[in-house]
Amino acid sequence: MNAIIQQRQGRKRHKRKTHDKCYKKCGTISSVKDLRRHLQTAIEIEHATLPPYLTALYSIKEGTNAFSYQTIQSVAMEEMLHMILACNILNAIGGHPAINKKRFVPSYPGYLPHSNNSFIVGLGKFSPEAIDTFLEIELPAQAGAPAQPDHWDTIGQFYEAIEYALCHFDLVTEGGIFTGDKSYQLDENDYYGGGGKLFKVYNLPRAIVAIQEILSQGEGMSDSIFDSDEMFGEEIDIAHYYKFNEIKEGRRYTLNGTPEKPPCGEKVDVDYDEVYNMAPNPSIKNYPEGSPLWQQTNEFNKTYMALLDSIHDAVNGNPDELKRAVPLMFDIKYKAIALMKTPYKDGMTAGPSFEFVK
Amino acid sequence: MTEKQYDVVVVGSGIAGAVLAKVLTQAGKEVLMLEAGLTAGMALKPEEDYENYQSYLQRFYETTIKATNTPYPEIKDAPSISVLEIQPQTPYETGYMVQLGPLPFGSDCLRAPGGTTLHWLGNVPRMLPNDFQMKTLYDQGVDWPICYDDLMRYYEMAENEIGVAGDVDSQQGPDMSRSNYGPDYVFPMDKIPQSYQDQVWIKSTNGLDVSLYGKTYTVNCISMPQGRNSTPNNDYRYADTVWDPASQSLNLITTDKNYEVVGATWNSYTGERCEGNASCVPICPVQAKYNALKTLKKADESKLDIITKAVASRVLIEPGGTDVAGIMYKAYTDPDSIEYTPHIAKGKIYVLACSAIENAKLLLASNVANSSDQVGRNLMDHLVLLTWGLLPEKGYPYRGPGCTTYIPTFRDGEFRKDFAAWISPIDNWGWSWPTFAPGSDVTNAVINNAMFGKDLRSHLNADVPRQTLLHFECEQAPCADNRITISEKYKDHLDNYRPVIEYDASDYMRKSFKAAKHVSDQIFAANNIEDHTIYSPTEADYVTWDGQGYTFRGAGHIVGTHRMGSSASESVVDKNQRTWDHQNLYLVGCGNMPTLGTSNPTLTMTAMTYQAAESILKQLESNN
Amino acid sequence: MTNSTEHFDTFLAISAWLTGYEPVELQGTGMVQTYYSTLRENITAIDLDAFFAESDFILAKAQTDVDAAKVRTASHLMQNSSFNSLGKQIILMWYIGQWFADPSGDPNNSVQINAQSYVEALMWPTADTHPPGAKEPGFGSWAVKPVSVDTFNVTL
Ligand SMILES: Cc1cc2nc3c(=O)[nH]c(=O)nc-3n(C[C@H](O)[C@H](O)[C@H](O)COP(=O)(O)OP(=O)(O)OC[C@H]3O[C@@H](n4cnc5c(N)ncnc54)[C@H](O)[C@@H]3O)c2cc1C
Ligand code: SF4
Repeated sequence: MNAIIQQRQGRKRHKRKTHDKCYKKCGTISSVKDLRRHLQTAIEIEHATLPPYLTALYSIKEGTNAFSYQTIQSVAMEEMLHMILACNILNAIGGHPAINKKRFVPSYPGYLPHSNNSFIVGLGKFSPEAIDTFLEIELPAQAGAPAQPDHWDTIGQFYEAIEYALCHFDLVTEGGIFTGDKSYQLDENDYYGGGGKLFKVYNLPRAIVAIQEILSQGEGMSDSIFDSDEMFGEEIDIAHYYKFNEIKEGRRYTLNGTPEKPPCGEKVDVDYDEVYNMAPNPSIKNYPEGSPLWQQTNEFNKTYMALLDSIHDAVNGNPDELKRAVPLMFDIKYKAIALMKTPYKDGMTAGPSFEFVK
Repeated sequence: MTEKQYDVVVVGSGIAGAVLAKVLTQAGKEVLMLEAGLTAGMALKPEEDYENYQSYLQRFYETTIKATNTPYPEIKDAPSISVLEIQPQTPYETGYMVQLGPLPFGSDCLRAPGGTTLHWLGNVPRMLPNDFQMKTLYDQGVDWPICYDDLMRYYEMAENEIGVAGDVDSQQGPDMSRSNYGPDYVFPMDKIPQSYQDQVWIKSTNGLDVSLYGKTYTVNCISMPQGRNSTPNNDYRYADTVWDPASQSLNLITTDKNYEVVGATWNSYTGERCEGNASCVPICPVQAKYNALKTLKKADESKLDIITKAVASRVLIEPGGTDVAGIMYKAYTDPDSIEYTPHIAKGKIYVLACSAIENAKLLLASNVANSSDQVGRNLMDHLVLLTWGLLPEKGYPYRGPGCTTYIPTFRDGEFRKDFAAWISPIDNWGWSWPTFAPGSDVTNAVINNAMFGKDLRSHLNADVPRQTLLHFECEQAPCADNRITISEKYKDHLDNYRPVIEYDASDYMRKSFKAAKHVSDQIFAANNIEDHTIYSPTEADYVTWDGQGYTFRGAGHIVGTHRMGSSASESVVDKNQRTWDHQNLYLVGCGNMPTLGTSNPTLTMTAMTYQAAESILKQLESNN
Repeated sequence: MTNSTEHFDTFLAISAWLTGYEPVELQGTGMVQTYYSTLRENITAIDLDAFFAESDFILAKAQTDVDAAKVRTASHLMQNSSFNSLGKQIILMWYIGQWFADPSGDPNNSVQINAQSYVEALMWPTADTHPPGAKEPGFGSWAVKPVSVDTFNVTL
């Protein structure tokens, strides 16, 4: 870990960060409290990507679309990692992630939290349109694009603002801002099944590495399609945007692939017909209260809530709770698929709605 | 065809062969591996590997009667034993094995790349120190030519390679405590969580006093060390086993990084934790369970040639000498055709790693290494007595790995003079083994009792989650007449010999069934378990003792057919696992074990294989 | 003549009645169509017509008098003589995922319908678990009660 941090700190962009510059770039993030609020938003953004990714993933019929399935699954796993990493950062500066509150749960279709509202995200089956939306979500920032604490164009720009604010407030605050209780941190043993590493955050360098990991897995390292997993002792992997682009183009990138060019490697089979024909944006409101589909959807939502409760507890001082979240994570998959096998109307099926219930 | 002269020719790609391939190639030696199974199973390219493995899984789902070998291709040119071929009445020759009896031998193994670890359960307790001295201490069987302490460092290598999850401190029982492992030793990963059902059991079983022939024993329940992925133990510091030419030894090297969990061969993120598929036997869908292909993948590819669809058929001896000159193998193209082309593989040293039955067959067919007349003899297994019943409350079985907790109480004691010791895993999979539940519960309710609707559903829901099963895996003592032979009468598709088995359970074994059932009765009573155990005279391996009948089952622990010993007249290999008769022929695998102990054998065998690898490296370097 | 979708609704409804699962739960397995086709492949149209006529009668009865419908089911669908054990075949198909050619004669004469029928067999959720080798519940799940039991009560 130390080696990684040194390597990271050695990277140019963090080397010459001065007090003044940081402050300017963090824009409207005006206090540590405000910074915590922004980190809470970051957690919400990471989470908001999950229901759409999972819905598309689970709509793929068993044993088909192996490449797309593995791709979307790997992205979803990493988004969960990012969500927990963001929780670690928030905990590190004495904040308290709020995961199981009503306003935490997004409604679909809708915009991603605090974004520039330029594109709508919904819950849909695996389809070309879904992949287009995913590409929007993971769009890399243009080189030199400004940090944006609010109304962000890309997730990268939003994190950039957070990163600068972390630097700034850590410098100007007596004793630094990384004063959170270390026992609230989740670590590498708590995360598995995807690329990247979960690690404890208790100082600025680690927070920066965490943000870099989130960004590089998502949009790629500034000028490359590859993510930083290699530096984390993991296999070489490409960033989310480019993974989705492989599905869109039905081709793999080669090791010489670049952001400018479409992938030109091996062809992959993508079959949008081997998918459950789920009616878009399922909601419990579509079904009469007490009806069978209402009940099944309600059970799904209750399981989803139980999952959020577990994660909430895990990131609020009970790291062991994450173990209890695991069976729930698996269970929502089976419940979601059962819904997607159940006829709803017009030849379409029901589906998971990921809604808040008490 | 293979002109190249290798340093070592290894036959078989199971865990024994894979460990050799890895260690020897990493030490810079040129290795040729012969494997009887199909090429696809070798899993060399991730995508094809994934597809092939999915085809295994699909075959498992689709097959009506599911047995241990179900997921894997049946190959006429290299048949595997199937437990489905076992019949109560011997003699018979309807399966691959010719069973002369009086009892049928009830275990199988797998001929495919990766070998039997593809469908093993993965329990890996160590043997006990006393297990190595059965003759001296209990006047049973033989002593080993090595003792527990000699194996200690190799155990650590094996535990590193398999990736053992377990809790050292809880390994307490007769002849077993912290000192068996050394003061600071930990396993690579934390213990696999013990099942909910275990916790129900533990309430009334841990600390229970049971009496047996006038003696009282206090039963304890402890977690089972196993070769499946769990959370890395932060205190574990070993990285890998490496050959050190200076000291001429294999050593575990340390690291400051945490243990790196080894996932599926096709994708390292798959199977980073056991996901509770509860199908470890016959197939772990995510490869959270260790299999030998994981080890093979770590071999230095540039030094390793693998020839699949190559069935070793004869060990050739230098004319007029005793050195092995080559291994003749039959290469087939179509796995079901009788056509093949013979080839000879050549190396400086030869190692047979084909498993206890095939190793013995190959030696007998070649008439080598048998000056002691011990080849094929002393065939052993754990004879598994099962007892089953209904818990008073739901234990929710059919979840998690097959076993997460075991009772070590009868693994050692003075009683070993009189009857066999046993280990008692508490089984997590309901009555599936003895009764084919829950399918049989459904057919019984529907066909015999004409149940339907909500009554049927709630009847099954009330009963099946209460099913519980206990094993008594009794240590079979070596017996020269339990043996594998070959006969011109019995050949397979490629004109290779089929194993001919003679097998029985001695009084020493039968007595332990009676003792085990007596212990079971007391444990069941303490737990208010309603006993549903039935041993029927129509079953295979039904035996009687003292007026009572018992059915035992094979454990898949096939051991002893080319045992190691301290003299050439009584054993096939010496303590370095080199055949006494041929200085460049080694045997590895469970066939080397002189006695079985009460632990599942593969960990000990793997430890021994590290020791063999070290001897082979020394021999190669001294010849240079 | 039975056309390919005739009786489909009756099949689902009688399946629910015979298995004790709600229609929506059966639909959630994704197996309704497969099992319906299996019936049509193995049973003559005439026999199916008669069976579904009786089923309609029982289902109608169940609307008003559940106990009477049960008695009628026991005597008209669950006897070995009733429709050559078709009622039993349907239950076994749902619970085990296998087609039993002759459940009351030779219960060992069955075939796995396909891979999904193994994965979706109702005996697994009925036993508060999942099919071995599929629908894995995740690391450590076995150390606590099953999610379905623990989080909230399943509707029985
Ligand atoms: C159901 C079951 C459960 C088990 N559970 C456990 C457990 O929990 N714990 C435990 O310790 N042990 C267990 N075992 C035992 C364990 O699987 C074996 O001890 C172990 O896998 C043996 O490894 P091996 O490498 O010696 O032989 P194998 O794995 O059998 O490998 C032999 C290899 O040689 C190849 N081969 C065979 N003949 C030839 C030939 N003529 N030419 C070329 N290649 C050939 C085969 O294809 C295969 O690849 C279990 C066994 C079974 C059947
Ligand atoms: S319980 Fe499942 S995931 Fe775990 S090792 Fe067994 S088969 Fe694999």
